[in-house]
This record gives sequence, structure tokens and C-alpha cells, in this order.
Amino acid sequence: MQLPSLSELNLGLTVPALSLALWACILLVIDLFIPRDRKSVTAWLAAGGVVFAFIANLLVYRDPGVAFMGLFVADEFAGFLNIVVLLTAFIAILMSVDYLKRTGIERGEYYVLLLMTTSGIMFMNSANDLAVVFIALELLSIPLYVLAAFRAPEERSEEAGLKYFILGAFASAFFVFGAALIYGATGSSSLPVIVDAVGRALAGEGSSLLLLLMGSGLILAGLGFKVAVVPFHMWTPDVYEGAPTPVTAFMSVGAKVGGFAALLRILLVALPALTVAEGDAVAGWQTATWVVAALTLILGNIVAISQTNIKRLLAYSSIAHAGYVLMAVAAAGTPGVSDQATRAALIYLMAYMFTNLGAFAVAMAIEKDDGSGTSLDDFKGLGRSRPLLAAIMAVFMLSLTGIPLTAGFVGKWVVFQATIEAGLYTLAVIGVLTSVISAFYYVRVIVNMFLEDGEGDPAAAATPYVQWAIYLTFAGTLVLGIIPSLVTNLSGPVALAVASLVP
Amino acid sequence: MEFNIHSIVFLIFSVITLGGGLGTVTSRNLIHGAVYLIVSLFGVAGLFILLSAPFLAAIQVLVYIGAIAILIIFAVMLTRSMTRMTEIYNRQWSLSLVVSALLFVLLLVGIILPVWGPGTANAALQPSELVATTVDLGVAFVDGNQFVLPFEVASLLLTAAMIGAIVIARDRD
Amino acid sequence: MEATGLSLVTVVLFLPLIGFAIMLFMNERTQAGAIRWTALGFSVLTFLLSLGLWALYNPDDPGLQLVQRINWLPDYGISYYVGVDGLSLLLVILTTFIMPVAILASFRSHIFEERGREKLYYLFMMLLEWAMIGVFVVQDLVIFYVFWEVTLVPMYFLIGIWGAEQRIYAAVKFFLYTMAGSILMLLAILYVGINAGTFALPEIIAAIQTGALSFPFDGLFSTQGLLFLGFLIAFAIKVPIWPLHSWLPDAHVQAPTAGSIILAGVLLKMGTYGIVRFCLPLFPEASVAWAPTIATLGVIGIIYGAWVSYAQRDMKKLVAYSSVSHLGFVVVGIFALNAAGIEGGILQMVNHGVSTGGLFLIVGMLYERRHTKAMEAFGGVWKALPLFGAVSLVIVLSSMGLPGLNSFVGEFTILMGTLGSNILGFVFALFATLGVILAAVYMLYFYQKVYMGELDKEEIRNLEPLHWSEKAALVPVLIAIFLIGLQPAPFFRSMDASVDALVRHVDESVPEVVVGNLQMPE
Repeated sequence: MQLPSLSELNLGLTVPALSLALWACILLVIDLFIPRDRKSVTAWLAAGGVVFAFIANLLVYRDPGVAFMGLFVADEFAGFLNIVVLLTAFIAILMSVDYLKRTGIERGEYYVLLLMTTSGIMFMNSANDLAVVFIALELLSIPLYVLAAFRAPEERSEEAGLKYFILGAFASAFFVFGAALIYGATGSSSLPVIVDAVGRALAGEGSSLLLLLMGSGLILAGLGFKVAVVPFHMWTPDVYEGAPTPVTAFMSVGAKVGGFAALLRILLVALPALTVAEGDAVAGWQTATWVVAALTLILGNIVAISQTNIKRLLAYSSIAHAGYVLMAVAAAGTPGVSDQATRAALIYLMAYMFTNLGAFAVAMAIEKDDGSGTSLDDFKGLGRSRPLLAAIMAVFMLSLTGIPLTAGFVGKWVVFQATIEAGLYTLAVIGVLTSVISAFYYVRVIVNMFLEDGEGDPAAAATPYVQWAIYLTFAGTLVLGIIPSLVTNLSGPVALAVASLVP
Repeated sequence: MEFNIHSIVFLIFSVITLGGGLGTVTSRNLIHGAVYLIVSLFGVAGLFILLSAPFLAAIQVLVYIGAIAILIIFAVMLTRSMTRMTEIYNRQWSLSLVVSALLFVLLLVGIILPVWGPGTANAALQPSELVATTVDLGVAFVDGNQFVLPFEVASLLLTAAMIGAIVIARDRD
Repeated sequence: MEATGLSLVTVVLFLPLIGFAIMLFMNERTQAGAIRWTALGFSVLTFLLSLGLWALYNPDDPGLQLVQRINWLPDYGISYYVGVDGLSLLLVILTTFIMPVAILASFRSHIFEERGREKLYYLFMMLLEWAMIGVFVVQDLVIFYVFWEVTLVPMYFLIGIWGAEQRIYAAVKFFLYTMAGSILMLLAILYVGINAGTFALPEIIAAIQTGALSFPFDGLFSTQGLLFLGFLIAFAIKVPIWPLHSWLPDAHVQAPTAGSIILAGVLLKMGTYGIVRFCLPLFPEASVAWAPTIATLGVIGIIYGAWVSYAQRDMKKLVAYSSVSHLGFVVVGIFALNAAGIEGGILQMVNHGVSTGGLFLIVGMLYERRHTKAMEAFGGVWKALPLFGAVSLVIVLSSMGLPGLNSFVGEFTILMGTLGSNILGFVFALFATLGVILAAVYMLYFYQKVYMGELDKEEIRNLEPLHWSEKAALVPVLIAIFLIGLQPAPFFRSMDASVDALVRHVDESVPEVVVGNLQMPE
């Protein structure tokens, strides 16, 4: 047996993800020697790991390649999403430092778990084999279950962790079953190999085609749980509300990034031939994602209207935003548009990352130590008592609505453009109309802050690190909105498709 | 498919697996449920043997029955009050029934048709003749050509799960 | 015509933003006066520089002038692309003209005593001016959409923070209505841009002229018809064309005085301007096919607006509905699709901005003094403040369309265009004329109720005389009213070439309908 040499494994390409995981393990040990009242040192060490991974990722970004003989791809797609995820992790750490202290749950394991889940997402971004996708999915999820329950004796947090765990386990089961069916139909779990087998199945008797479709349907469902699209969204509001706010912020972006990365890669690299129905009764995944995207947009936006808690509101809004990304996924199903649509999804995720993290950071700034104070009424009068914070929150809300000169507009713009180019006009119209609906509840936050007078105590001042998180996300939101070419250039070479597409 | 000893054994193990599973979810006594689970897991081990994977079968018995199921029974017995619990928590069981029945039929169609459907006899994948040994498995895990990456990530995963379990379970201070 | 050097248009566009940046660093408590004067100073400077645009502008060239173009998102064919031509020049000047008036009108407002946050107010004013100028000068569809949406935000806050009792309702309604319309336009813009490969309007129109690009048209709801509607609905909500007007009375009544002036003076014109700038040249066949329908809605708006105005007892509502009526005129003029109609339409946009802006100004002054907008609370104002009464009379007469004043010129030209149009014709002109008569009825009714009569109310006798800032706000309005009314020729001259080119473009695209090219009366 000829084992490949180390150099053939291209370990260098895996440094960003691997270093973070290793650093998490080391940090676990270091944390033992950090006195209990100085756990912020752990936070800074964790942030240092993230920065290191970020730099390593930038170094790998322009020099893509394949590691572990094809199981792991370090291409621009993964590199771009790694940037998004690492920024998310960094901002989440900034948000956590004071929050953990003032809510009395400051423990070093928190940061270790955060780094673990981050590395899981990065593995997912690069996974080129169904087995790796699955393991990475678990590495993403399990620390998140624990983090959601991190305020544990507190009931809502426990409920959040439990709910997320059970439904997440279900989702994983779906995914594994789907992967098994696809393996059964094609005889391989490697995405580039699957694509040939799919071609053969389409050309041949069509026997294993049904298996393939069932498999991809189950995979779609499993990942749909992770990114919280309708009808797999039920867990989102409760979990988002119950989990500690920085964790909610992290998973509202991180888990989605990982899920969409796997979704796009599996659909575009392994199953591009199954996009649209051709003649017979085979429903392609473009139709499936189309329908799911439409449902998600409609339900997410409509239910968000009636929310009275900012965390629940952002939960439903995050469902809706998953719908917009899914629009891009559906658009990617049209041959010839897939590169552009992939870019659109990535740019959208980047824009959403800044804006959503910022909105959560503001929500956290006004949250009280016991976790209360996050109802929409608590925003009343904020424009008077904390004008700067309120103004920044207003920009985040406008960005989530998609008003120009903010990141949200650029994201929506590229997604709509891809959708129209793909010829999915009805979906584009649905996307646009639901954007109007979304304006209704985002604007209500602004109304509460500036136009209503508050009762009771003005919100406490945000702690310094949270302020840094807010400024960082605010800058990101504006810069991306005003000079979008920074990001569109970065995502320029992103392309997701194996060269040998089967007709 | 022709009727031979192979298929008879398959049927028996299937019945054990499915029956055990059904018992697990329907029995109202937690201890009984755990015992049914063991039965079901045993049936799965039998299926693994049929699929020429003796190592997996052994693991199935050792880990799932020997460790996990026993752990569950211990846990149930240590939290005594739970053993007598017979309430039904889920008020939406009727809806769940419909959904799961639909899903089941869908999967049934999706799996049976491709393998035994019309005109598919030659297209169906032949079962592997290779008997996977422990050596094969071990090599597959550490071979750079195969699954070394998922294997390593899985170890990370277990670390994370362990940390998580400890974080959740330990006393608050 | 590509230019990369700094254009005066860019300077005019970004001057308010510079003012914004400077004011951002001023202290609200210690420098309130300075903030006010900075806002006024920058708006006046912008106005003067925009007059410079006119001076540099060559009226014989139908194309864009003073162009500047910088790539913004080259991958997607989007660029910062500004310039002025005959269609936009006057509207840019209208914007920069209205802003100092609106700012002066805010100098002595009581709203800051109640609501405070004076700095924020002037910041939003500067932001609004920037965005409005942007709408008129930008030639790239995407950037146009950007500015179009950005105007929403400051106006939303102006109404929502400094408005009357039901300000929140009005602000949210304004926001949602306008956004709902414009987002459909976004889709249409995307479709057009993707098919053209660029979002630069002049390039798209050139491609349509050479036949390199065409949107299939075979009926009102064909591809081109739907695209036309996508744009038109956004504009129609802004104008507002009946029956999409229901946000306007609320917004007007609740907005602070300056907000109403800007809303009536400039924001509504963005809609009619958009029709001329985008709908007509991009979708000529659809424009011709839809013209009778839209013009009919315009006529309904004229009569309906006038009728409802007459029924109002609230001064601001009266003026608000009169806007619906007046802008109906503009819509009819535009869809006459000949030079007279369109030029009259554009001039009437300016006129309405000046006259109705003036009306809101005087209503605001009355409101400042009596804290009510009900007409019964007044009467005999003429006797108390004769100068104010006389100035108000001029503005009211201007709004009615009295010959010699500005609106007459615009309305007359529109009627000429409508009569000479092969698409609309006599019946439309007839009903539009009816609107002119009704306008006289409700405006005179308003004037009689408020200004005439005996001085029998104590409060009216003691009305506070005009503050210098209020006088200063009224003077430019009066000048504009007389200037346009007595010397309309240079205004028409500035539009001639561009409008002719536009009409010819529509004419050539739709050979089967000769829309005619009625010349201007001198």
C-alpha cells in the first residue's frame, strides 16, 4: 500500500481551520492556569487565535488548492466564507467579554467551544466529501448546543439548548440518511466523483435517479434545519431568545454560513445535473429551493411583524434573510448564472454578517444583566437617552431593510440581480414584496427609538468592548454599502463548479 | 428477489430491529423502553453481519448495547422518579403521525423503486463481495488517500462534545 | 462626452454633504445659532452654484452636459454618472431654490421648543438636499435608485420627529407607500440593466435608438408594458397620481412647515421627473400605448383633487389636495407626448414647487401664530397684517394660474400641448380646464375665509408681525413667481433642445403614431 507523503497532503492549505481547532485544545489547557477573575485573558487568547487564522486564511486565499487528496478544498469560495466566519467569531468574542462577566457565566470553556464551532464551520466551507461535510456539521453543531445552554440553570437557556440539540440531532440524521442514499446511488461520497455518477444515472436507465433525488432532498432538509428555512425553522425563535445574546449573534450568522457553504458546494459541485426538471416528472433542486425560498421569505417576514422582543424579531428576520440567500441558491441552479449567483450568496452573507451582528450587539448593549430588557418597548426613547447608539441601530435596521448606502442594499441588489438573470421573475417579485413587508417591522424599531418617548430608566451605557463590536460592524455596514467594490472584487474569482459538467 | 436463507435471516433481523424500535417509542415505562432499544440495536448488529461487516457488528454490540444502552438504564434507575412517568408530553402526535407516515411512504418508494422497480435489475448496485476487516477499516481511517481528515475532525468533535457535556453537567458555583 | 474631471454638478451635489459633515461636529447647545446659519449658508451657496450650472449650460445641445463619470461597481456595470440636460436643469435649480426657503421657514419655528433636537433637524435637511439633487442629476439607473430611496430616510424622520399629533402614523405610511412602489422599480431596473449590459441611462437609450436593444412590445401587459408599469407605479406613488395619493394628505398635514414645503416643492417632482426621464425614453411604445390611460388618471386627479380641496376646512389639507390636482396637470402634459406638453409639464413642476411651496409657507406662518390649521379660526388677517395679506394674495393667485404669474404659463402650455396631441386631444383639455376653474373656486374660498372679513377676533388683531426670517423666505418666492410669469422664454429655451430630442426619439420608436411636434408660443 502506497501512503501519500505529507507534502502530497498539502497540509499548508488546512492551516486556517486546523490551527484554530488546535488552538482551542491548547487554550483549554492554558485556561486552567488563568485565575477565575481574569477570564478575559482567555478571551483575548481566543481572539488571538482567530486573528492568526484570519491572516493564515488571507495567505491561502490567493493560492487555492486541494488538500488531503481531495477531501478538503481551499478555494476562493471557502476563503471568502472563512473571512466572514472569522470576523463573526472575532466580533462574537468582543461581545462576550463583558457580557459573560456581567451575567455571571464567565468560564473559559465558552471561548474554547466558540473556537471549536468556528473551526467546524471552516471545515464545512472547505469540505469536498459528504463524510467531511457531516463531521464538520457535527463539529459546528455540538459546541453550539452547549453554548445555547450556557446560562444553564436559567430556564429559557436550558430550553434553548435542549430544543436546539434535539432538533439539530434530527437534522443531522436527515443529512446522514441523505448522504447514505447518495452514496448508495453513486458509490462514492466524494463530491467531484458523484457528479460523474449522476451523469451516468441520468444517461442510463434512471434507476438510481430516484435514490439520488431522495438523497439530495434529505440533505436539503438537513441543511435547511441548520440555516433555518421554512419549514425547518420552528426552533429558531425559541433558541435565539433563550441563548445568551452573543451566542445567538454568532449562530445567527455562523451556522448559516456553514450550512449555505455545504448546500452550495453539494448542489453545485456534486449535483449540478439535477437542477431543473427536464421533460419527465423529475423535480430538480432548483424548483425545490425556489419553493422553500419563497415560503421562507413570506413566512419569516410576516411572522416577524407581530414580534415584541428584539431577539425574537431578529430570529424571524434571520429566517427571512436565509430566504434571500436561498434565492441566490435557487438562481445558481440555472446553468451559466451559477458563478454569479454564488457570488451573490457570498456577498449577501457578508453584508448580513455585519448588519446582523451589529443589531445583536446593540440589543445586547441595552439588555439587562438578568437577560430581560430586550422587548421592543425597551427601545423607546433611546434616541434621546443614547443618541449615538440609537442612530447606529437605525442604520442597522435600514441595512436589514435594504435601503441604499448600507451593506444590506448591496446584498439584496446582487441577489436580485442573480435571480433575474436566472429568469426566476416570480421569485424576484416575492423577494421584493417581502422586503417591503420587512420594512414594516424594522422601521418600527426606529419609530420606537426616535419617535416614541421612553418610560423608566434609560438604558445603561454599553461596555467598552461591546462598543468596539458595534463600531466595527457599523463601519462594515457603511463601507460595504458605500464602496461595495471592496467585497465584489474579493469575491471576483469565486466559482463553484467542476469543469466536467455533464449535460 | 429469490427466497433463500439470506433473505430469511434478513427478515428476522428486520423484524427485531423494527419491533424493538416500535417498542421503544410506544412503551410508557422508561425501563421497558430501554430494553426494547437494546433489542433493536441487536437487530441492527445482525444486519451488519449480513452486510459482511463483522467488525461493525461487534462494535454495535459492544458500544451501543454494552455501553450506551446500559448507561441509559443506569441513568433511568438513578433518577427514580422518572421510571414511573407515563404522561404523554406531545399533544401534536396526530399531526406527527401523518407527517411521519407520509415521509415513510416517500422513502419507501424512493428506495424500493430504484432497487426492485421495473427494468432496474441490471442497474442496481451489486452488493460488495469484500469482507471489510478491522485492518481495512483502520487503514481507511489513517490513509491520506481516504478518510484521515474526517477521522481527525471526528476526534475534535468528541473533544468538543466532552467539554460540552462537562460544562452542562458540572455544579454551578 | 465622457469626462473624468471634477464637474460643477458634482460640486453642487456634494456641497450639502460637506455642510452636513461640518454641522455634525457642532455642539447643539452652545452653537445652535451657528448650526442654523451654517445650514442656511450652505443651501444658499448651493443655490448660487446651481445658477452657475445654468450659466455653463449650452441650451442648443440636447445631450448631457457637465458630465462626470466614475466607476462604482465595474463588474456589474454600475457607475457614478452625473450631468444635467434640459430635462433636469430647472429641477436642480428648483431644489436648491426651495431649500433655503425651507430652512428660513424653520428659523423661528416653535417645534424646537417642543421637540428640541435642532441640530438633527438641520442635519436631515442637508441630507435631504443632497439626496434630492442626486435624484435629478444622476444618470445611472442604480445610483438613481440609491438616491431615490435615500430621500425617504430624512423625510421620514422630519415627519416622524417634528410633525403634528399623528406624525408616526403619517411617517410610517409615507415610508411604506413609497418603498412599496420603488422596490418594484428596482426589479424593472435590474431587468433593463441586465439586458442592456450597463446601467448608464444614456448608453441604454442610445442602444434603443440604434436598435441594439429592444424590449418586446405587443400589448399593454407585454414585457415592455410591465417594465413601464414597474417604473411608473413607483413614480405615480410619488407624484401622486390618483388613486395612489392617499399617503400625501397625511404626510402633508403632519409634516412640519419646512417638510411640507420640501415635500410639495421637490419630492413630488421626483415622480413626474422620473416619468419624463425614464419611462418615456426607455419604453416609448409602452408610453404611447399607456398614455391615454395614465392621462385619464391625471384628469381624474385634477378634478378629484380640486373637489376634495374645496371640501376641506383644514388649510394644510386644502393645499395638500390642491397638489394632487396640480400634478394631475403635469401628468396630462407629459402624456400629451409632444414638445409643448412636456415643456409645459416641466415648467409646471417648477411653478407648482414655487407656488405650493409658498402656500405651505404662508399656512405655516399662520399656524405658528394661532397653533391651529382650521380656517374658522382666522378671518380678517388682511386688516391685521396688510403686507402679509398682499403677499399671500400673490401666491394664491399664482396657484390659481392668473395670467402674468408663473402657473399660467405652465398650465397654458400644457393645455396647448393637450389640444395639439394626437393621443389625448380635446376632451382631455376640456376636463383639465375645468380643473383650472375649480382651482379658482377653492383658492379664493380659502383666501376669503382667512384673510377677508371683519377683524372680530381678538387673537387675529394681535397677530405678531412677520419676523425678518419669514420675510426673507417670502421674497425669493415672490421673485420667482413674477420672473417666470413675465419672462418664461429663457426657461423654455433651456429645455427646447432636450425635449425635442426626447419627442423625436419617442416619435421614431413609434412610427405608426405621429405624436406631432407642436412649437412653443412665444
